[in-house]
Amino acid sequence: MTVHKIFGVELADELRGIVREPAALFFSIIMPVGFFALFVSLFGKFSAGGVSAGTTMIATFGAFGVISVVLMNPGIGVASDRERGWLRAKQVSAVPIGVTLAAKVVAALPYAAGVLVAMTATAAVTGSLNAPLPALLRLLVVLVLGALPFALLSLAIGFQVGAGAAAAVLNAILIPTSVLSGLWMPLEIMPAFFGDVARFLPTYHLSELARAQLTGGPAVAHVLVLLGFALVAAVLAAVSYRHARS
Amino acid sequence: METVLGVRGARHSYGATQALDGVDLDVGAGECVALLGPNGAGKTTLVNQVIGLLPAQAGSVLVCGGDPRIASTRRQLGVVQQSLGFPNTLKVSELVVGAAVRAGKPRAAAGPVMAELDLVELAGRRASKLSGGQKQRLQLAMALVADPALLVLDEPTAGLDVPTRKRFWQILAERRGRGAGVLLTTHLIEESSAVADRVVVLDRGRVLAGGTPDELVARLPDRTVIARTALGLERLQALPGVVSLRGDGEHVRLGTRAPEALLRVLLAEDPGLSDLRVEGAGLEEAVAGLIERGAA
Repeated sequence: MTVHKIFGVELADELRGIVREPAALFFSIIMPVGFFALFVSLFGKFSAGGVSAGTTMIATFGAFGVISVVLMNPGIGVASDRERGWLRAKQVSAVPIGVTLAAKVVAALPYAAGVLVAMTATAAVTGSLNAPLPALLRLLVVLVLGALPFALLSLAIGFQVGAGAAAAVLNAILIPTSVLSGLWMPLEIMPAFFGDVARFLPTYHLSELARAQLTGGPAVAHVLVLLGFALVAAVLAAVSYRHARS
Repeated sequence: METVLGVRGARHSYGATQALDGVDLDVGAGECVALLGPNGAGKTTLVNQVIGLLPAQAGSVLVCGGDPRIASTRRQLGVVQQSLGFPNTLKVSELVVGAAVRAGKPRAAAGPVMAELDLVELAGRRASKLSGGQKQRLQLAMALVADPALLVLDEPTAGLDVPTRKRFWQILAERRGRGAGVLLTTHLIEESSAVADRVVVLDRGRVLAGGTPDELVARLPDRTVIARTALGLERLQALPGVVSLRGDGEHVRLGTRAPEALLRVLLAEDPGLSDLRVEGAGLEEAVAGLIERGAA
C-alpha cells in the first residue's frame, strides 16, 4: 500500500465534495473577491511608495481571501465528518489520519489560489495593477503556503465542535482578526490601538509578508512569527485530535 | 483453529469507573462470537480496543498477532458500525473503490464485492440517499473489499427488515467459510443465538459467561412462561421468581427458575389469563438470568 495512492483517493473524495456541493466554498470566494472589487474600484489607483493601492490590496484582501477559504473549509468538513461517524470510519481504516486531514487541507488550496487569481484579474481590469509578474507569483506562493497554519487551527476547532458551531467559531476568529490586522482597511487610517493589537496576530504577519513581496520590505520577522504560529497550531490540532469528541 | 483476535486481561477505566476489568476473549478464523451484555457492560470499550481506537491500559489486544492501533494490523480488520452517515457527495462505487485502494487492494477488487452485495445497480447513486438496508450493505461491502481476517460488527442489522437481515447473514456465512472471524455486538439476542458459534456475556467490565448458545441456555434451569394477561408489566416484574420480562405482541414472556410457583401466582392474580404455555428458556432469558446472578 503506498501512501500517495491513498492520498490520491482521499484528495479525489474531497475535491468531488467541493465540486458537487460548492455552496460553502462559493461564499468563501465570492465574499472576499466581492469586497476586493468594491474597494479596488474606489481606491485602487491611489499610489504609495511606488505601488498602487490596488496592487497592495491583493496582499491584504488576498490574505483575507486565502485565510477565509483555508480556515473555514477543513474545520467545518472535519466537524461534519465527525458528526456523521465518517471520521471514526476513517480512523479505524488502515489510512493514517494525517493523510485524511492533509487531503482536506490540500483540496482547499486550489480555491485559495483561485481567490488570488480572481483578485489579480480584477485589479488588472480596473487598471490598478502595477507589479511585475515574479512579485505577484511570489505573493501567491507566500499567501497560499502561509495560510496552511490556519488550516491546522481550523482542524483543531473542527475536532471539538459540531459543524454549525464550527462555522460560527471560525467566523468569530476570521472577521475580528481580519479587521484588526488591517486586511480590509489599512491600519494607517485606523485608530492606533488596531496597530498595537495587529502585531500579535498571525493574520497581520501573513499580509505583511505578502506585502513585502511587492515592496521588497523586511520579511524575516514575519516568517518567524508565522512559523511559531504554525507550531502552536500544529500542537493544538494534535491535542484536539487526541481528545476529539466522538 | 487459528486465532484472529486474542484479548488477554484487558482493562480500561474512565476515571473511577472500571469499564473493562480483566477481559479475556478469543475469536478463531471462521468463527462468529457474539458479545452480549446490558448497556454499560463494557462492550463499546472492548470493541474500541479491538478496532484500535483505544489502547488497553493493561493486558493485551491482538488482531492476527498485531496491535490494532498500527495501520498494518488494521488492514486485517473490517468494521461495520451501527449507523454511519456517508458524505453527501460520494457515490456508492466511489466509496467501495476508495475502500479497496485504502486497504491496498486493486480498484478492480470493488466489482465482485459490489456484485456479491447487490450494489451494482446502485453504483452511481449517492450513498447518503440510500435506504438503511442499502447503507448497511454498502458498509459491509467497504469492509469486505479489504478481505479482512476479522470483521467487527456493531449492531449491524439494527433497523433492517427480515429479508435484508437474512441476506446479510448469508453473505457473512460465505465469508466465514473462507476463514474470516466475526466479533458481533448486538441487542438482538435471539439473532445472535442463530448466527454465533459462541456467545460471551459481559457485565460491569467482566466476562460473566461464555460458550455456545446451547451451553449457556443449559446452564440455567430456566423456563419461559408465555401468556396473554391483563396484568401490567410493573406488576408482572414484581411477581415472585420472575427473572426476565419481555412484551411480545399481545403476549408477555416471563423468564423464571420456578415456573410452577409463578403459574400459581399468575392464575390467582389474573383469572382471565389465556394462551398460557411454558417453554424452555431461550438465550435471551439465559443471558438475563446470568446477568442477574452476576449482580447478586
